[in-house]
Amino acid sequence: MRAYLTYLSKRLVQFAVVVFVGINITYLVTHMTPIDPVEQSISAATSFGSTSPEAIEMMRQSLRQLYGLEGSPWEQYVSFWKRILVGDFGPSLSAFPTPVSQLILRALPWTVGLLLVSTLLTWFLGNLLGGLAGYYRNSRVLRAFGVISMALKPIPYYVVALVLLIIFGFLWPVLPISGGATMASDRSNTFAFALDVAVHSILPVLSLMAVGIGGWFMGMRSLVSNVVTEDYVIYAELAGVKRNKILGSYVMRNALGPQVTGLALQLGAIFNGAIITEYVFGYPGVGSLLISAVHAGDYSLVLGITTISIVAVSATVLLIDLLYPLIDPRVEAR
Amino acid sequence: MITELRSIPLSPEMRAPQTAPLLEVDRLKAYYKTQMFGVDREVRAVDDISLKVNRNEIYGLAGESSSGKSSLIKTIAGAIRPPLRVVEGSVRFNFKDGERDIYKLSPQELSAIRWSHLSYIMQGSMSVLNPVRRIKHAFVDFALPHVNAKGADFTSLVERHLKRVHLDPAVLQAYPHELSGGMRQRVTIALATVCGPEFIIADEPTTALDVIVQKGVLLMLREIQQELRSSVLFVTHDMAVHANLTDRLGIMYAGRLVEEGRTRDLFKRPLHPYTAHLISSLPRIGDEAPKKGLEGSPPSLANPPPGCRFHPRCPLAIDICRLEAPPMMEILPGHRAACHVAQADPTRVETVG
Amino acid sequence: MSAFKIFRDLFSHNGEFAIGLVLLLVVLAVAACSFFSPYPPMDVYVVPPDVPPSWEHPLGTTSRGQDVFWQLTFAIRNTLLFGIVVAILSRIISLFVGLISGYKGGWVDRVLMSINDTFVVIPLFPILVLFYFIMRDQMSWALLAVITALLGWAYDARLIRSIAMSLRTREFTRQAVFSGMSTGKIVLQEHLPFVLPIVFSTTMNNINWSIGIEVTLSVLGFTDINTPTIGGMIYWANQHAALVSGIWWWVTFPVALVIMLFIGLFLLAISMNEYIDPRSRLSRLGGQA
Ligand SMILES: Nc1ncnc2c1ncn2[C@@H]1O[C@H](COP(=O)(O)OP(=O)(O)O)[C@@H](O)[C@H]1O
Ligand code: SF4
Ligand SMILES: [Mg+2]
Repeated sequence: MRAYLTYLSKRLVQFAVVVFVGINITYLVTHMTPIDPVEQSISAATSFGSTSPEAIEMMRQSLRQLYGLEGSPWEQYVSFWKRILVGDFGPSLSAFPTPVSQLILRALPWTVGLLLVSTLLTWFLGNLLGGLAGYYRNSRVLRAFGVISMALKPIPYYVVALVLLIIFGFLWPVLPISGGATMASDRSNTFAFALDVAVHSILPVLSLMAVGIGGWFMGMRSLVSNVVTEDYVIYAELAGVKRNKILGSYVMRNALGPQVTGLALQLGAIFNGAIITEYVFGYPGVGSLLISAVHAGDYSLVLGITTISIVAVSATVLLIDLLYPLIDPRVEAR
Repeated sequence: MITELRSIPLSPEMRAPQTAPLLEVDRLKAYYKTQMFGVDREVRAVDDISLKVNRNEIYGLAGESSSGKSSLIKTIAGAIRPPLRVVEGSVRFNFKDGERDIYKLSPQELSAIRWSHLSYIMQGSMSVLNPVRRIKHAFVDFALPHVNAKGADFTSLVERHLKRVHLDPAVLQAYPHELSGGMRQRVTIALATVCGPEFIIADEPTTALDVIVQKGVLLMLREIQQELRSSVLFVTHDMAVHANLTDRLGIMYAGRLVEEGRTRDLFKRPLHPYTAHLISSLPRIGDEAPKKGLEGSPPSLANPPPGCRFHPRCPLAIDICRLEAPPMMEILPGHRAACHVAQADPTRVETVG
Repeated sequence: MSAFKIFRDLFSHNGEFAIGLVLLLVVLAVAACSFFSPYPPMDVYVVPPDVPPSWEHPLGTTSRGQDVFWQLTFAIRNTLLFGIVVAILSRIISLFVGLISGYKGGWVDRVLMSINDTFVVIPLFPILVLFYFIMRDQMSWALLAVITALLGWAYDARLIRSIAMSLRTREFTRQAVFSGMSTGKIVLQEHLPFVLPIVFSTTMNNINWSIGIEVTLSVLGFTDINTPTIGGMIYWANQHAALVSGIWWWVTFPVALVIMLFIGLFLLAISMNEYIDPRSRLSRLGGQA
């Protein structure tokens, strides 16, 4: 228990550091520029349509506060943090006067759903197949899978998504290539709507999986080929414990720890991938929102999404860390 | 140091085998055959060994490290995996319910005798327990298939066994890393004996432990053996442990058995120069000067010297030793040795050490 | 063993290394062609637009009146250069942080690794987008390289740290400490030679990573879109809806070339790792036996 508490406090401190440093980076990025961001944002935001002078003045006011351009540098820094801590990013400029937090909340379920499904599937399948490949070294099917997934691994999300788009959008158009659901879909029929959402998520999920699965596969395969030489595996084999049992409870179970840690470390990169994938497939999540906010010159929305991404990703990492002792009870070993 | 562990000293007559020996190893050869970068290598770790272990007996196996002790007992336990292969010979057990030739059994038959008839305590017992699962799972995985008990019956059977060997059943809920080295070793021994096997193989079970803990673990093993009336094949390079624990003793040198007999006889009157050296180098109260070590180093098993493998280091070596390997021969009653000089004149060996 | 001999052994005994090298050489050859281009890279409408691949224009022409092949030579050159610049800059940071952290230990190590882990965990892409958002037209190729390097050093710093840590406990380090060598000197003279092979393999991976960032950002139009890069080409193709209007060669060839580059660098990195880490080499031997 003591060990777990020490571990817990270390993880909490690390979480605080990540959020602190991450938010400071966004502060630095927004304040170390020679450009007047307020005027730039306003000209970008108003260039698309006619906005009343009063509305522009309101925007200017809110932006100066949000950028923290009022008062001494220290006051600026403090007021920036105050807004961040309460999650108040002001009104969106492009969808004025809807609050930024509301826009993000609307997009968040799509992104979370996409990430959850694709990450769990990728991680589970990659580890399962990689574990089997490490244990049954002579299987040809698994070897071939290894070669294919290895070739996909270094290719960035955008390129894989684009290739899938070309294949299923133009060469063999059988799947929806854009959107999260059919526009005119009837949301009262829950089952039909769920099916519609699922079908629309196939390509985004597939592209995220294609890039991600190779890393887990190869990692697990090499972990397993090391674990099988451990004394406790040899001893269990010797005692005549069943092969399935050994593979599951001895080999895979021990290789799982590093892979869970790996998942925590990869989360940021996976999130990056989801942003791109959403954009390519016009998926109505946070990634698409971010990119359209940039195009619309909506500073408060861009800042809001950046901040929330940092907090959300590091909170998920913290969650994984806190659950880690369930996988490996030797917490002090970390 | 280790005190006398024999609580009931048995006379040799009482122990003389009325029945056939439990284990018979006959002309066993097992080699590591590897191929690295296209070069064939053959390590003759077990080279032509014959021995017998009786019922209700602790048979010790000694020899410096790399002499092939682990390879021999792995082969006896049918626990070999490539590159180690049996080249010749046989390993036969006479279990109560019938005779088994280990290398003629199907994998299923071999699995069936494990743990119920034949248990193995592996070298490096500190790391033989799955680190991420509680101890109780090890008992389920290893023992459950071999007993006629399930669920609560099985748990109470395990708990009874733990109490019998003076372990708190609470260890079942622990993870291996929560136990001390000595506790882990006790748990491993309890795990290996829970099904009441007729034959227990233990490979250096006390090597990593300090002396006090060692003594406790040895006592535990002795008690279990007496209670189950099973046979133990006990391996350690520590001659002091052998002196206090084992009934009979075999000495290995460079992949061969070079001497075998009752432990007392061996200590009182070693017949092989190597055994004589091992015994004389034991520290004794009243020693003035430190013992001088044996010159040279053990031979490579990939390319052993011809003739007697001990000859480059042997103070008694004569011409024939370099040419002809001495056979294992009974020189005194129940006391065998493989040495040309001892076979001609056993008293010559007394000058060694 | 001389560097040349290592190279030759790797080439003849390691299939991954050989394939990786060939792929990389093809990409380099295409990049080298840019020096012989008949058209300046920035000019548009120098050739008839939308011509499919033909003898005259082997990879076709774009809707902007550029020859795809010659455009590609500039694009891959700039993209590759971007990757190399980022890799070199971030390697300097990784080495600095990793060696200091691994060597100093104690609170220095704890603070540095805490910051290090932050950079591993936080999603960098939104930050890069935010950066572009602030800089807009001031965003240049070089600036993006610097900021990418500042964000992309952390993963490898941890790796270098773990190696430095194992070196710290070795005999020669203790001797150097006793003989009064300064920290800087020990790190540079004694440790760098052990760390360099790993640095080399992480360089390949880092080039891959940063090119991925560059391609992605330019495809979205979040970079200096006037410098021809692979991402920039795809950006302009998307702007002209090239795929919808059937100008597939405008998208397919840049994508194919950059995939060759990714796979080539990746294969070089893993074969290097295998060369460095004898454990994985042994397991390969075991696996084949
Ligand atoms: N997996 C292996 N491959 C090749 N040689 C081995 C292997 N394991 C052990 N050996 C060799 O077999 C010989 C006997 O080893 P071992 O039986 O472990 O000796 P001991 O248990 O007496 O220390 C040694 O020379 C050792 O180097
Ligand atoms: S046979 Fe010869 S060399 Fe071997 S132990 Fe006996 S005397 Fe020594
Ligand atoms: Mg051994």
